[in-house]
Amino acid sequence: MKVRSDILRIYQSLHIWTGIISGMVLFIGFYAGSLTMFKDAINQWMTPPSEALAPIATHQYDDLIAQAVAQYPDAAKGFTLNFNHADKAPMEWFEQGSDRELNLAGVVRQASFDQDGQLVSQVAEPSVLADLVDMLHRTAGIFGEVGHEELGVYVLGVASFLYFLAIVSGVIFLLPTLVKSLFSLRQNKTSSRFWLDAHNAVGILSLPFHIVISLTVIVFAFHDQLYDGLEHIVYREQPMFTRPAPPKVEYKLENVPSVAELQNLVKTIAPEHKILSMNYGNLTTPRATIRVGVFDENSTMRGPVHDYVFIQPYSQQILSSTLNPAPEGIWVRTVASFFALHFGSYGGELGRWVYFVLGIMGAFLFYSGNLLWLEKRRNKKGPEQARNVRWMASATVGICLGSMLAVAACFASAKWIKAYTDSLNYAHMWVYYAVFFACMLSAYLKGAAKSSVTILRLLVITCLAIPANSFIALMLPSLAIWPADSFSDVVLELVAIVLAALFYYFAKQTAKRVKQGEENSVWVTKQSLA
Amino acid sequence: MASRDKKIQPDWWSKTLAGVLLGLTFSFALVGCFAWYGPGGITADSKVQFNMWITPAIWLPIMSFVYLFNNGKQAWMYLAGANVLAYAALFLLR
Repeated sequence: MKVRSDILRIYQSLHIWTGIISGMVLFIGFYAGSLTMFKDAINQWMTPPSEALAPIATHQYDDLIAQAVAQYPDAAKGFTLNFNHADKAPMEWFEQGSDRELNLAGVVRQASFDQDGQLVSQVAEPSVLADLVDMLHRTAGIFGEVGHEELGVYVLGVASFLYFLAIVSGVIFLLPTLVKSLFSLRQNKTSSRFWLDAHNAVGILSLPFHIVISLTVIVFAFHDQLYDGLEHIVYREQPMFTRPAPPKVEYKLENVPSVAELQNLVKTIAPEHKILSMNYGNLTTPRATIRVGVFDENSTMRGPVHDYVFIQPYSQQILSSTLNPAPEGIWVRTVASFFALHFGSYGGELGRWVYFVLGIMGAFLFYSGNLLWLEKRRNKKGPEQARNVRWMASATVGICLGSMLAVAACFASAKWIKAYTDSLNYAHMWVYYAVFFACMLSAYLKGAAKSSVTILRLLVITCLAIPANSFIALMLPSLAIWPADSFSDVVLELVAIVLAALFYYFAKQTAKRVKQGEENSVWVTKQSLA
Repeated sequence: MASRDKKIQPDWWSKTLAGVLLGLTFSFALVGCFAWYGPGGITADSKVQFNMWITPAIWLPIMSFVYLFNNGKQAWMYLAGANVLAYAALFLLR
């Protein structure tokens, strides 16, 4: 396709600058996003086998609630019931903190019945390892709060805005050569040609995914502002959100219907779904709501794991649901499907793996984009490279590879920390940020070439340490760490091995380029020139 | 058209600002028309969520293609015109 050259030039500039500004935070958002596809598996992997309380039968739940609240009156404010889950206690509630956002000091009490029907409960310090990965996914690890939202969420929102422009401009300036170059990976020409071909192929082939992700992230970050705009410009005196008036009863647990009654209510709109959990919130206030998580493997899920049904417990009214089948439910269902498109929860287990791979490919897109930017600005006449090029190379290596090494280090150390320290969650954070900043510092001091090889080699070792811990735990049962003990645990550790193999290959290639690559480049060390 | 033969001026700042500001206000007006006159009307349950979602879906394509205007001034003029029309439709027809 022919496109005028002045248009091409404009969109080339747009692509380069939006890409280089947003690329590195998006890199973290994407690879961490890939990992969050398996958040439940990570949580399960971090739960020692001894910790789980026994599941109970459905008809026992009302008794359990009554006895638990009698002994721990605080639980009356809100709690969660889990059904038929081997690793989740039948009932749990937060004694400290809440499940909103990353919560380092959260204390959860879990309750169940023992074999004799006696109430048993224990305090669990939930590991935030999976939440840490999720936090990196949403904020790229940028700390701070603006209003009631995290600063990093806004940063990623702005980055996503630029990312949309980068997608459109990238496609436009690729159009003239699209057909010719899409499926060619020219390996035998220069290495920059290979990176460019790979960058283009990945970008075009996963285009719909990237459009979906960029739009949804903008909404996730700026929904408050967009609602404000709609309120001032469009709705004005019209109410935007209507909620039925709360019923006139006393808001206390005795007036909440039994679990069976509530489940029957859910079944009226979700007859095929399995009920996984019921989250009782704000029970003592007029805002009392029960959020019911329902799951059906054969349908599109709208939440990260399941669909939701919201119930006002005192009036037994269904407030809303992501699967409301009525004609007027079209808006909720459509919006819910936008969420599903981001969360990748519409294609079952296979869909999760596809999203996992797409996320990694996205991370590759941003990394390769930065490499191409560097290559273009390379001084080919001498070994001295401009300062901004050296810094960008160091930042790319330090931030992208450094963040991955930091996460790998968290995984490798997590079970040891859980077994031998009391401040599990703070330790996770320390490990992440210490390793991350150490990588940044080393990339800045030692240059991109040397530090990239070092970090990649450390990534190989750290990834291998994850299954090695299981091996150690099996060999030395006296240790307090525990081995992988379920199918998903084993898969998680196998993925770590595959990643280690990949990083090994990258480390080898990078080391080769450092030694034998073109001399005038940021990817060559001073020593290898001498 | 003579002006078509001229090369496009990048005018980065002016076009970007036009896209960010006028593109957004135009998106709100267009979504407003859909909210009031579209299926279900303004009171349809939860339609506000859908309306919020499609606002950036209109805004970002405008933002992406604002650079195709010959210069910044033209971007401001056309987008301002589109805004006038959209807001007229939103407020006068209601």
